[in-house]
Amino acid sequence: MSLPHHNARAREEILSRLRRASPPFPSTTADSKPSLVVTRASPDEDWVQRFITEAERARAMVHRVSNDEEGRAVLRELLTRLGARRAITWDMAHIPLAGVDAVLEELGIERVQGDNVTVATADVGITGVDWALATTGTLVLHAGPGKPRMASLLPPYHLAILRAGRILPRLEDYFALQRAADLRPLRESSNVTLITGSSATSDIEQQPVRGAHGPLELHIVLLTP
Amino acid sequence: MQALQFKQAVIRALHDAQLQTALDRGTTRGVNHRLAAMSATTDAAALRHQARLARERALNQLPALLEQLERNVLANGGHVLWARDGDELNRLVLELCQKHAVRRVVKGKSMVTEESELNHALAQAGIEVVESDLGEYIIQLAGERPSHIIAPMLHKTKEATAELLHRKLGMPLTDRPEEMVRFVRGVMRTKYLEADMGISGVNFAIAETGTIATVENEGNNRLSTSAPRVHVAVMGIEKVIATWEDYAILVQLLARSATGQQLSVYNNLMTGPRRPDEPDGPDHFYLIILDNGRGRIYQTEYAESLACIRCGACLNACPVYQNIGGHAYGWVYPGPIGSIITPLLRGLTQAPSLPFASSLCGACQSACPVEIAIPDMLLKLRRDLVQSAGNASLGWRLAMLLWRLGMTSPLLYRLGAALAGALTRLLAGRSGTIRQLPPPLNGWTYSRDFPAFSKGTFRERYRRRAQHAALRSHDHEPATSQRTRP
Repeated sequence: MSLPHHNARAREEILSRLRRASPPFPSTTADSKPSLVVTRASPDEDWVQRFITEAERARAMVHRVSNDEEGRAVLRELLTRLGARRAITWDMAHIPLAGVDAVLEELGIERVQGDNVTVATADVGITGVDWALATTGTLVLHAGPGKPRMASLLPPYHLAILRAGRILPRLEDYFALQRAADLRPLRESSNVTLITGSSATSDIEQQPVRGAHGPLELHIVLLTP
Repeated sequence: MQALQFKQAVIRALHDAQLQTALDRGTTRGVNHRLAAMSATTDAAALRHQARLARERALNQLPALLEQLERNVLANGGHVLWARDGDELNRLVLELCQKHAVRRVVKGKSMVTEESELNHALAQAGIEVVESDLGEYIIQLAGERPSHIIAPMLHKTKEATAELLHRKLGMPLTDRPEEMVRFVRGVMRTKYLEADMGISGVNFAIAETGTIATVENEGNNRLSTSAPRVHVAVMGIEKVIATWEDYAILVQLLARSATGQQLSVYNNLMTGPRRPDEPDGPDHFYLIILDNGRGRIYQTEYAESLACIRCGACLNACPVYQNIGGHAYGWVYPGPIGSIITPLLRGLTQAPSLPFASSLCGACQSACPVEIAIPDMLLKLRRDLVQSAGNASLGWRLAMLLWRLGMTSPLLYRLGAALAGALTRLLAGRSGTIRQLPPPLNGWTYSRDFPAFSKGTFRERYRRRAQHAALRSHDHEPATSQRTRP
């Protein structure tokens, strides 16, 4: 859509007024860059343990397993306990645990995809994780082909499957990685979501309540070799 | 809002028992959450300074960053529109509704659309618009306005909320917030799925990739921006920042200052519409950039106020806000920062009382994650008000003239003090207190007594003390010097 004529005029008016003004903070120059001190990371910390601590503090439920067999067992148990009938999942290629589709089939859980109304019937969402951040207990999910946004958003339960190797110390380290890749992953995905715990609200008298509009529960199956 | 209206609103707020309960419960929790989070930060002072630098750099390059942002949004397949004021913003949204045959809209939280009263404009055009943030939704149901930047229904108790949901939507009465949240969740589900357009605000716009970032805990913003086929994001011109490194700092500080979290539950980074090979997300993405008075502020000594990241910490910390709540401020932005930006955005004569709605105690500046000098700016606004308008009454100006004369002449000051002392003692009589002062001073004795001045003035006492002290130190001197002798 090209800019309608009246909007081009609005644009010019707004921008030219700003250009006419002198910079409001003359002593701050473009190269006074931040040195990123939000959270210090000590090199000998156990980041997997830190991730578990922080994710649980944010009310995610972390299930630590040491091999794929245990991972599938935990998944089977979770899906049974949650009473899942329908699942929206990322493509198996993006889930770092072999045999998830077999587990679903074995439990008679139908995989749904398509429009929002169909997808909304799913009672569980199963995703992989692109990166995780230890100091905040955060999952980073990049939307993309075979990686629907809705899997981590619409169903009442979100099951995320994470390999320990994807755990970075801090948010700053995640952006350093993106910078090293010329920010390409951020440009290519229409949606990157940082998820810290399950959906919540404090709107009523500032009292925290879990499960507002997104998932009521976030389960992280963490595979550590 | 005129001075009288403000005073009346304050009186109403102070007498509203429900509001006072809600404010006590809400602001106390808000303050405690922030303090806990900031004290857990490795280096809170350095972090705030970094955030401040990030905002200063962004504002210094504001026009260039906006153009860079526009170029990148276009490159990502999105569209950019510009709005000089609230009416223009509303017109643009309505045009987009028409273009995409939109009948239903869900909205994520956006303060700028409160400025333009977009909901009203959409409803007038026959378009259904539903606020999706839990607090905003309840406010919309009640036909009210948000009273806090991030906790819109801070003025409501849980009891009043339950009553409203019961009356409007037939929810079974309960005093448990969990049950109310669950109920609203159910109502909102279908709204997301039926909506043709989602409208959201913007917390940060990252120029180098043309990404807009929102911050939330509920998931309503993700749903509003992912489920409908059209996404319209609305931002004030000051929301643009340069880099992802700046984002990393600001977003962590925002969460800590707003709600005491290390990070909010969902930080949503949106870069254009759904790519052709992506399974979901909006087909169309529009970014509307709104000025609405901000460009004017940018040219003045108040440009610093544009550094605000809308965390709400200064509201929770402010003793005035804690007592009167958000509605008394009369417009979209309440609290200390509202007392600055409301007069600046709307014109000083529209809100002449707000710069005075502060004790200048400085709690706001201590709480501010980007170190905005709020008390300084409030003082400057007071100066501007005095200079701009002959709006002080003759009586007021006369009183100030006499005050100045008295305070700059020692002789007049002494005479005045003696006279006032004698007069109050005369009025007080034996009891030593005055039950009712004569007009125009009777406001003071409306709810308390006024004690008569004591007989000796301060200056007399001070002189006597000084003489005493001089005598005593003279007595002690030999002893002291003896002790220091080797």
